[in-house]
Amino acid sequence: MNETKKVIKKCKRYAARLQSTKGVICSDKPGSNIILCNVGQATGLIKDDIINLLNILPSVKLKKFIAEKGESYSYLVFDSEASALTFYHNYNGRKCCNNDTYLYMCFVENVPNTEIICAQKDPEGLCIIEDFISKEEEEKLIEVFDWENEKPNLKNRQVRHFGYEFRYGSNDVDLDAPLSDKIPKDCNIFWTRLKKYDINLEPPDQLTVNKYIPGQGIPLHVDRHSPFGSTILSVSLGSSVVMDWRHHSGLNIPIDIPPRSMLIMQGAARYDWQHGIQPRTWDPIIDHRILEDGQRIKVVTSETRNRETRISLTFRWTRCGDCDCVYKTLCDTADVTSTSDLNDNVASNLEELHVHQVYEQISRHFSSTRHQAWPQVVGFVRDSPPGAVLLDLGAGNGKNILKRNDILQPAADCIRLDLLHAGIRDGCADVIICIAVIHHFSSQSRRIQAVATIARLLRSGGRALITVWAKDQTKSNYLCKKKENVIHNNSTVEVAGINLPVHENRTQFQHKDLLVPWKLRGVKEDKLADKPESTLLRFYHVFEEGELEQLCVSSELIVEKSFYDEGNWCVVCKKV
Amino acid sequence: MKLITHNMLTSKCLKGVITGYPLAITATVVKVSEVEYNPEFISRIIPKLDWEVLWKAADSIGHNEGLPPTIDPKFEDNEEFLRKAHKVLLEVEVEEGYLTCPESGRQFPITKGIPNMLLTEAEVQ
Repeated sequence: MNETKKVIKKCKRYAARLQSTKGVICSDKPGSNIILCNVGQATGLIKDDIINLLNILPSVKLKKFIAEKGESYSYLVFDSEASALTFYHNYNGRKCCNNDTYLYMCFVENVPNTEIICAQKDPEGLCIIEDFISKEEEEKLIEVFDWENEKPNLKNRQVRHFGYEFRYGSNDVDLDAPLSDKIPKDCNIFWTRLKKYDINLEPPDQLTVNKYIPGQGIPLHVDRHSPFGSTILSVSLGSSVVMDWRHHSGLNIPIDIPPRSMLIMQGAARYDWQHGIQPRTWDPIIDHRILEDGQRIKVVTSETRNRETRISLTFRWTRCGDCDCVYKTLCDTADVTSTSDLNDNVASNLEELHVHQVYEQISRHFSSTRHQAWPQVVGFVRDSPPGAVLLDLGAGNGKNILKRNDILQPAADCIRLDLLHAGIRDGCADVIICIAVIHHFSSQSRRIQAVATIARLLRSGGRALITVWAKDQTKSNYLCKKKENVIHNNSTVEVAGINLPVHENRTQFQHKDLLVPWKLRGVKEDKLADKPESTLLRFYHVFEEGELEQLCVSSELIVEKSFYDEGNWCVVCKKV
Repeated sequence: MKLITHNMLTSKCLKGVITGYPLAITATVVKVSEVEYNPEFISRIIPKLDWEVLWKAADSIGHNEGLPPTIDPKFEDNEEFLRKAHKVLLEVEVEEGYLTCPESGRQFPITKGIPNMLLTEAEVQ
């Protein structure tokens, strides 16, 4: 009797304190919710102990367990008042937990709802295979990959690379500098085992090992698209962790990554979602529940668990060239700014400012840098039959004119004209060359019109060589080694209401429609001045593979030959 | 501007103009310079030209060089004819002056030998 009174007294004291300090209102009237006044997260609550207590009482069903972070109390939500009462009568004031704690409890009407319900589906293309490796294999892998706790070599964690070094900053690898450390053979079990899950992959060639001690994380990121392939794998060793996934549409989804699991990122998960790990020593516990209507939901509970050291093995497949994904938002090579659909007046204005006026200003300097005809052009012109009429549309300084007197090269006789409204009679040319011109037309319809002019000017059976600048400059002399690591500053210039990216000269093109700087230098006595006087911006639409061909395939033209030459896409087409 | 080039120029791109051909030449400076003679080329190029237009153009700037207004069917064998045609086609150049559209009267200036066929956005079809 005395004992019961003591317990009741103690509970009342707790209730008063909870009310004054936390605003928790305890009730004398029994209900289905109970507050454990002295047991919570902060006291080192072990949920399993509570579960064990419940197991002894088979009739008692617990619906929810709420332990808020940093609090010394917790809530139990039962399915009924009867369950709550049974629990209360059995355990109130009793020593129930392993650490000799006596439980003191009260009834409460309301429980806090700090849970976050996450009804969205996991990112498409994300697959987690739990228990992908055994504990023994995990131990062995930790031996292979763990290292003594040195100072973090990154801001907030330690990394190691195999195959190729992952370059932070440009977020890619240098394919010309493979590491002597290849991916350890111990990893081979992964690829063979994945086949059982119908995932057939060649062995990857790049591995980054991250070691996260509790409190460390990694900011939200997407693995840069173009340097890596369509699958990325991550094997977790040691601690579990909650990884946050964010879609650019605003969705946020936390996902449990258990130890010994294999995480496979493909499709949208690989390309269209960012993922990261928050830098903290704990993670929320994520519950999976099935609603009455059968919908499966994920609940981020207010409960937490502590992190341990986690080692993650991230496997990637290196590649080069533009990314071919269909997810453009996070793609580093996708073309976000496109002028292709510009209305004709705007396009014409843009070209007036950033093509015509610029060439007018730079013509002397430009001409002084253009001495030799391209071998491909020379070859094409050389093959013209005697008596041929050759038009060089966009002749510049006439460097493409051959010393031949048996063909008519009106570029030897110059005409100023607009390719879109060329004042030349139909079908008068046997041969047309149009070198590095069409990439200056800013809209698709104007590029089509330019090609239509070429078709119109050719006589039936006549041939044209058309070249344009290629977006992919990897197989040309254009790229400057020293500029490989230049981080694109993404500067833009507004022209006619459109923000056009300004290209960093001698680097790979990041966009399809862009402004290319021309550092104008004076020309005196045929010599270039040392220092540029000013920088002018020329508009370019750089071409993807196949794009020029597509432009030239019309009812009047047949593409006979299509090739890449020194950073240019070239076609030879014939008028039907 | 050589007369062979003139043979190909048109102002058809102008709004409202149907053929725009041939353009009338008004020459203030005409230059004649020597160009290497290639009879094969001349023979092959002549059938591609509008001879009547060429002859009238040459005549209008006082350089018909005694050429006939129509071509003899066996012109390839006529050395004298080919030499004259060579001169008219390639050696005579209009340095300064202008071209005039036969329908609209729009003038296209010729400066330093280069006819400027550029049109404004408002002028085109």
